Amino acid sequence: MTRYLVRRLLWAIVLLVAVTFITYALFFLVPADPARLAAGKSATTEDVARVSKSLGLDRPFYIQYGLFMKKLVWEQSLGRSFSNRRDVNTMIFEAAPVTAALVIGGAILWMLIALPVGILSALRPRSLLDRGAMIFVLVGISAPVIWVGLLLQYFVGFRLGLTPNSGYCDVINPPAGADCGGVWDWFYHMILPWTTFAILFAAAYARMVRANVMDTLGEDYVRTARAKGAPENVVIRHHVLRNALLPVVTMLGLDIGVALGGAIFTETIFNLPGLGRLAVNSVETLDLPTVQGVVVFATFAIVIISLAIDILYAYIDPRIRLA
Amino acid sequence: MSDPIIQVENMVKYFPITKGIVFQKQVAAVQAVDGVSFTVERGETLGIVGESGCGKSTLARCIMRLIEPTSGKVIFDGQDITALSRPQMRAVRREMMMVFQDPYASLNGRKRVGFIVSEPLEVHNIGTAAERKRRVQGLLEVVGLNPEHYNRFPHEFSGGQRQRIGIARALAVNPKLIVCDEHVSALDVSVQAQILNLLKDLQSEFGLTYIFIAHDLNVVRHISDRVAVMYLGKMVDLAGSNELYVNPRHPYTGALLSAIPIANPRVGRDRKSTVLEGDVPNPINPPSGCRFHPRCPRFQAEMCDAVEPPLREREAGHATACFFPLERWPLTADEMATVDGATVDRVRAELAGHFDEATVATP
Amino acid sequence: MSATIEQGPVASSDVDDAPLLDVKDLRTYFKTEDGIVRAVDGVSFSVKPGETLGVVGESGCGKSVTMLSVLSLNPKPGRVKLGPEADVDAEMQKYLLDSKKHSSLSTGTAMFRGIDLLQTSGDRLRQIRGGEIAMIFQDPMTSLNPVHSVGAQLIEAALLHQDISKRDARELAIASLDDVGIPRAKQRINDYPHQFSGGMRQRVMIAMALINEPSLLIADEPTTALDVTTQSQILGLIRRLQEERGTAVIMITHDLGVIAEVADEVVVMYAARVVERSGVFNLFEQPRHPYTWGLLGSLPHPDAVADRLTQIQGQPPSLLNPPKGCRFNPRCSYTFDRCLIERPELHGAEADAEHLDACFLDESRKQEEAHRLVAGLGRTAEAS
Repeated sequence: MTRYLVRRLLWAIVLLVAVTFITYALFFLVPADPARLAAGKSATTEDVARVSKSLGLDRPFYIQYGLFMKKLVWEQSLGRSFSNRRDVNTMIFEAAPVTAALVIGGAILWMLIALPVGILSALRPRSLLDRGAMIFVLVGISAPVIWVGLLLQYFVGFRLGLTPNSGYCDVINPPAGADCGGVWDWFYHMILPWTTFAILFAAAYARMVRANVMDTLGEDYVRTARAKGAPENVVIRHHVLRNALLPVVTMLGLDIGVALGGAIFTETIFNLPGLGRLAVNSVETLDLPTVQGVVVFATFAIVIISLAIDILYAYIDPRIRLA
Repeated sequence: MSDPIIQVENMVKYFPITKGIVFQKQVAAVQAVDGVSFTVERGETLGIVGESGCGKSTLARCIMRLIEPTSGKVIFDGQDITALSRPQMRAVRREMMMVFQDPYASLNGRKRVGFIVSEPLEVHNIGTAAERKRRVQGLLEVVGLNPEHYNRFPHEFSGGQRQRIGIARALAVNPKLIVCDEHVSALDVSVQAQILNLLKDLQSEFGLTYIFIAHDLNVVRHISDRVAVMYLGKMVDLAGSNELYVNPRHPYTGALLSAIPIANPRVGRDRKSTVLEGDVPNPINPPSGCRFHPRCPRFQAEMCDAVEPPLREREAGHATACFFPLERWPLTADEMATVDGATVDRVRAELAGHFDEATVATP
Repeated sequence: MSATIEQGPVASSDVDDAPLLDVKDLRTYFKTEDGIVRAVDGVSFSVKPGETLGVVGESGCGKSVTMLSVLSLNPKPGRVKLGPEADVDAEMQKYLLDSKKHSSLSTGTAMFRGIDLLQTSGDRLRQIRGGEIAMIFQDPMTSLNPVHSVGAQLIEAALLHQDISKRDARELAIASLDDVGIPRAKQRINDYPHQFSGGMRQRVMIAMALINEPSLLIADEPTTALDVTTQSQILGLIRRLQEERGTAVIMITHDLGVIAEVADEVVVMYAARVVERSGVFNLFEQPRHPYTWGLLGSLPHPDAVADRLTQIQGQPPSLLNPPKGCRFNPRCSYTFDRCLIERPELHGAEADAEHLDACFLDESRKQEEAHRLVAGLGRTAEAS
């Protein structure tokens, strides 16, 4: 197991280097000058050159990349933003909890929907519930996130006035002058983003849970359990669910990366100050250090989460744990 | 007199087990096949039996060079095929074909039967399309299928019929040698009998040579001229099929024979079978000396576990790798476990003389 | 080790002549996309306490489904009781096609200790499953749950049927693992199925089946997936436990060798029906049905000198659309007009009313052919 973990971490480092390098390279392929943007609209050529020099943009890109990596490794610092000179670490530190809240809350919500729907429709295939659930799945999978988000904003937020349409509230220490704060406000503001975010995955997972449960119901050991005289609820809980949910855990690990990507849309629609919006804004302003910071942080987060899920998987599946 | 079609010399196949974080180094090996030698005469059927994990399928794949042997030589029709390059090997491949156990998995379900059977012809560029079609229809008839089934898909056939398709495909390029790997094991007895009869008919019609691998000893006996018994990567007994079943010499062969259920209630119910205790040991770290010694009723300390008995022809046409072969057959469990003192002393004296030589000879 | 059945503890006393399980006219139909499959079509048999009944037939003949039907273990099983005058086939088809809940349907009777298993459901049925009738299956790898330790699975079986503490159940589980010959049972109880070899897994299955001391053990091809030496160990184990406890066994197999070694009574099934039923010696020495002849002849027998095997031509029929009359008629070399129209029922032989077969051939012909076949296999000579 240790050997496996070490190997995974080594691969994570390789991945991190590759991803940051590609981001850097892409930036220098884009035919726009970050220095010109940073220097402002009315800047002269000399102004731009000066800004370029102060940002270190006049040097060849591999040296810039080397400096970036050196700073990251030695000082654990992601540098300063080109556009507002703020510390990137601080910006990420502020934005990460918002995205985490969105993704984790969304994941909980989608599992809360997918598990019962999937299990019940597997146990009663072709029933009314099953058919209804599968229509929901079809809609959920084919509807774009933005469309769902706008629809929810319009009907639930605007027409019915049940939830706020956008914005974010801190749970603790709301900044001075904020008009909201605390757990309830936070939760209240997150309802729509969570729902939007969860629908796509809930649909896909409901379908997967259904398929897995139906497969597992046909396994020989389920028949053995019935032949032992176990009542049906014990058979389902004890022998079907644990085995059927193993692949779901694996998928969850793989989907975390996808989910982070999906967060970009949701954050943009609902105006949440998370990593996704930070990334979008900084790409618009060619703010390389911030983009790079988000990329590094996201890669790192994905690696850690999928590692955690692998460990969890090994814990629940003795065939992996004891192999 | 002797006209061998294939000679296998000291075949070894180890599957490495590696360890290490970045650089993999080999820490152990699964010794799947470890120093097997035999010859098959033209037109003969050699049966290979053994329990799962004894290395019989690996051996077959090494002979065909479907996997590369770790060491050892295969001389096919006078030519050392282990030394051939890939393109040279292609020419040899049409001379030796393999039919597999699982008729469901080994036929491509999306291709029509005609295509499946003619594929070897196309691979080896034999004939025009029309000639190929005629040949395939002829082959389907030879294996007892309706030539009109040319355009059907494999799933439209039963298990036994699919085995016939597999045989037709193997026959397409007029091979000299056919290796059958457990290919009747999944069939019901009545269908199995059809296929075994078909194989025998084809052999006399086309002068084929078979290497027939199976775990069912009765089936192997029925089809084979000679039978080899394998245990943990080693060949332990090799004899004419009748001889092997009537006079098994290796204690493992004896144990195998006594374990076969006999379809005769008068004999089967009362006989005391010599049941082997426990399971086949791990081939990663096989027992020292004779690999069968931990389960052998005739085990003699400091001989069987110290020196590996070579596969030696003790009487004409019957080679056995055992220091204390069975004197006669059948034996009761007690008789199996008794070795007479004189033999033990003789072997001890022999081994004392050859001890150094023997340990060097068996890596 | 190899006691004959006369030495068995309960076999010869006359109280036990009443069958333990008595199945009459069992039918099981499945609903599939291609239509109704009549997987079991009017099967009757019985098992006496302590006795071993062998059920032999090729794959798809309905031998496993028969046993699963008795315990209602088929997928989405429905059961229906039909009146004596009912057109059973039509009623069952209609019921199955109309039912949304069931994908299989059984009818008939299966009397076990005075109750009809096909009329029993809920708690009573669950008490019998695993308590009084236990079952083991062909593939010991897939029949054990991979994510629970073998101990947990044995303890579950014990706790479902016995009112004991968890600790006692654990002791019982260790004792039964020990009893089936698993070395170091105390440690190995915590291991998972994948840590055992195939033979050891089947021992675990047997330990689990016998932990509640059932009076009937149904073994569905328990050795088919195993090597010959392991098969011999497992058959020996089942025989030993059966003698110690007086358990009746139904042994389902396609291997006539296994039948010859363990069975007292034998049922031969072909295409969802019983074609022959008799004591084991009669079956091998005076087989009466052409299908049984074919099975015996196609066996590569160790002592037979024949160069060619007597083969049964053709394939087993599809149960979606079985042949009219006798279902064996397309493959039978003795077929005559009557076989094509009329369905042969099981009937006793002239000399032996206990030896049943479903064939229209006349008595002398059957005896003649059986004699020829058995002599050809060289079996009479060595039967000393």
